[in-house]
Amino acid sequence: MITIQNLKKSFRTEEVETLALNNVNLKVEDGEFVAIMGPSGCGKSTLLNIIGMLDNPTEGSYNFAGNEVGGLKESQRTQLRKGNLGFVFQSFNLIDELTVYENVELPLIYLKMGKAERKEKVMKVLERMKIAHREKHFPQQLSGGQQQRVAISRAVVTNPKLILADEPTGNLDSKNGIEVMNLLTELNQEGTTIVMVTHSDRDSHYAHRVVNLFDGQIVTESQNRAIGAMI
Amino acid sequence: MFKNYIKIAFRNLWRRRGLSAINITGLAVGLSATFLIVLYISFELSYDSFHSKKADIYRLIADVEVPSDVLEIDRPALAVPTHLKDDFEEIEDAVRIMGLSLAVRNGDLKFKEEDAVAVDASFFDMFDYNLLQGDKATVLQEPYSVVLTPETSKRYFGSENSIGKTLKIQNEDISDLTFTVTGIMEQAPQNSRFRPELLISFSTYFNGVMPNINDMWGTYDPEAFVLLNPNVDVLELQSKFPAFLEKYTGDQMRQEKSLVTLKMEPFTDVYLHSNRNQGVSGDINSIYIFSIIALFILLIACINFVNLTTARSVERAKEVGVRKVIGAEKNQLSKQFIGESIIIVLLAFLLSVFISGLALPAFKELIGKEISSGILSNPGYIFILFITSLLIGVLAGIYPAFVLSSFKPVNVLKGNFSTGSSGILLRKGLVIAQFTISITLIIGTIVIYNQMGHMSNQELGFNKDHVVVLETGYIPERKALQQKLNEIPEIKSTSYTSSVPGVKNNIAYSLIEDSTNEQLAVHIDAFFVDYDYMDQYGLKLLAGRSFSKAFASDSTAAMIINERAVKLLGYVSPEDALGASFSQWGKQGEIIGVVKDFHFKSLEEKINPMSMTVSEAGGDFLSVTIQSNDMAKTIAAIETEWNKVMPTNPFNYYFLDEAFDRQYRTQQRFGKIFVNFAVLAIFISCLGLLGLAAYSMLQRRREIGIRKVLGASVTTVVNLLSLEFMKLVGIAFLIAVPIAAFTMKSWLDNFAYRIDLQWWIFALAGLIASIIALGTVGFHAIKASLTNPVKNLRTE
Repeated sequence: MITIQNLKKSFRTEEVETLALNNVNLKVEDGEFVAIMGPSGCGKSTLLNIIGMLDNPTEGSYNFAGNEVGGLKESQRTQLRKGNLGFVFQSFNLIDELTVYENVELPLIYLKMGKAERKEKVMKVLERMKIAHREKHFPQQLSGGQQQRVAISRAVVTNPKLILADEPTGNLDSKNGIEVMNLLTELNQEGTTIVMVTHSDRDSHYAHRVVNLFDGQIVTESQNRAIGAMI
Repeated sequence: MFKNYIKIAFRNLWRRRGLSAINITGLAVGLSATFLIVLYISFELSYDSFHSKKADIYRLIADVEVPSDVLEIDRPALAVPTHLKDDFEEIEDAVRIMGLSLAVRNGDLKFKEEDAVAVDASFFDMFDYNLLQGDKATVLQEPYSVVLTPETSKRYFGSENSIGKTLKIQNEDISDLTFTVTGIMEQAPQNSRFRPELLISFSTYFNGVMPNINDMWGTYDPEAFVLLNPNVDVLELQSKFPAFLEKYTGDQMRQEKSLVTLKMEPFTDVYLHSNRNQGVSGDINSIYIFSIIALFILLIACINFVNLTTARSVERAKEVGVRKVIGAEKNQLSKQFIGESIIIVLLAFLLSVFISGLALPAFKELIGKEISSGILSNPGYIFILFITSLLIGVLAGIYPAFVLSSFKPVNVLKGNFSTGSSGILLRKGLVIAQFTISITLIIGTIVIYNQMGHMSNQELGFNKDHVVVLETGYIPERKALQQKLNEIPEIKSTSYTSSVPGVKNNIAYSLIEDSTNEQLAVHIDAFFVDYDYMDQYGLKLLAGRSFSKAFASDSTAAMIINERAVKLLGYVSPEDALGASFSQWGKQGEIIGVVKDFHFKSLEEKINPMSMTVSEAGGDFLSVTIQSNDMAKTIAAIETEWNKVMPTNPFNYYFLDEAFDRQYRTQQRFGKIFVNFAVLAIFISCLGLLGLAAYSMLQRRREIGIRKVLGASVTTVVNLLSLEFMKLVGIAFLIAVPIAAFTMKSWLDNFAYRIDLQWWIFALAGLIASIIALGTVGFHAIKASLTNPVKNLRTE
């Protein structure tokens, strides 16, 4: 699904050029669950943003499901992203002025889906995430765990091929964190590819494969065998 | 999708309802102010536009040139219109409109009719005044015909039909003659220069009371209009006028050493563009000034809007980021934010229609004109306001929409988001622009008020207090009235004159011996007075003597002039002018005295050369100086005498000081309107500043928190926060001063007697602006600096 070759990303301020990613090569197959780990500032979020097409690489190639992404314009990236990618953030990033239902509905609106179809999809995913009874609430009225379930609902409501999760449990207590990880694992088992950035060793064990990043370079990759045991 | 936008727009408005209220109110007030000004301007521009032949109508005007000066007059000589019409086939018609003040009587009922006119028979042909009864071709044909408005008819005759009834009418030329009502004319619209209540046929003059009127080439009265045949070349026609004048009055001009130039002025230019109106007149410059003010206010309101919206963008950044991540395209986001802006503007529009409706009566009162019968009677303007609002919504929404929709989601969602310095610079620039406008308007306000005060406090050079003026008309009994009044103990003195300061003045063609012993032809203001006038008015004699009954020749052969006249004649000192010979309006004699200059006209005008001569028949203004603690009682006593002596003449009086001040009504009104809208503009600026300060504090709460943790006191924090805004006010001040100085200097140039633009005016304006800004910003600064820093830091 994802093939990244010799990828470089540098940030330029007036005086300093910082190399955030240096010669990264990464391949993610369909249906894989990959965790990216590393210390703060190692470039994992930058990598995730590039994979999520929120940012362009400076050099190198990024191929997503057969499409070369590097060098695409913003509008083209938006088109490619729409419906194909779902995002889950550490800070949930729900829109405060919209209800639970409306937040989840939003990606479908941008896909120009009909109202009845939207309703059916939204309710289905809310029920699945066990948050349907809160559909009329606003984000501030929910607990952190509930908010993250709404965020995940929103990420999966379009049936994306790939979910990108940026420290999805970072703002949650352990009970809610485990619940969220179980949800992600479930989605992965149903065929959705997941790339997750995390600090947490516990969370990384849910992934098939862990990629360790250090100073913008991939230093190790390890396969998780014990995955079944964790669930 | 659209529903989603509206939903989020309203929820956003509600969440920050305080600031939304500021935003909407500011815009609504701005729109209302603009709307009202536009109503006023379009009313002024619409003057006399309802006449269907207006494009072919021209006003006849004359320049009368003598060696010493040129007199620009808004009317031709009496005889001109008739002969022009007869001599030129290009001229289809000519109509004279003579303003009159009449005493009208129906049996024992007496009325003073100030808004009367005498017009030529084809008046209703040339102009589109609506004749309700009577045939417009003949209604004013015959002498002694009178046309009334329904209101006047009701006043004179009650509810009866007045057609065919008779009225007794008198003034200085018409001596209590009988007129027959031949027609009823609908009252002229508000935007008509002429709004007569009573019209008499002009043939009353040339076929009745003044048969030689069509031979009078030296009396410049009344206003006259010609209707040209279509496709006549105006300049070509005008070029034939010198020969026309030569034919009729060439000898007279040569004899008087004067040269008359007859010109035509487009009828549609008369109200706003002519600088020689004696009658009703508008002022194109105040139209320009108010247009600019309207634009300013709108601009300030829009600036608020853009400023508050972009400032709020920080709060909306996360939403934008999220929307982008989940698939929103840039133009979808732009549409969303422009849509929101339009929603706010439409709310402001609705509010402004409401505000305008409420404010309209007060506004009409302020400008003293019935510009509109109600806000809803101008649906066209409301529609224009609506479209303008929409445009503002789009334009004001474009920038925030552009800024917001180009946020990079990567940045905003990670929280390391900054507004970017360009946005801040723009906001600062806009605040500077707002304050530049505000300070300019404050300076304008101070200057206008000072000039007004200057004019009412200026020493005029004559006594204007405790003087009551009676207009008796030239009726024989008036001298008897004066004698009776002199017997009333509270009356100190009385005198008849042809002119009263600030009310009326006559200009006389005169020949006066100048310092080179030549007879200089001059146009000079002429007062016909009686012996007590100079004493009564407290005029100061600089040389020679006052008029006195002891000198028999004073009634026929003596003239007193003012200092300006002395200068005009080239004499070095007032004494030198004594004994100079003069001839004026048939009188010949010599100058016996010189008075100190006094302001017999408004302070907008320079004191002109003037002359006084004694005339037994010369005046119908009776000035009465009263020394009494019970003014009402004395005036009642005057009225009793008046009714005894001249029972057919309605009693009327006014106070000299009030009449003099009435000359400034237009300027005072201008000043009041200016000040009102200046205050509005400043108010809207403040609203914007208030909102902006609130946001600025919100954005800097982390900085404030850190400073406080590090030990900054409340005072230092308040200073720091306020200083930033004060800098902007300072820059605005520097820009505003030259703009205001230039504008106000050109405004002051309208006045012959004016204040200087002193430094304190600018300093005061700066101080006021600073206090306003400090008050607005300080409130938020103090609030922000008093907040517990832990709270501020935690939210980040």
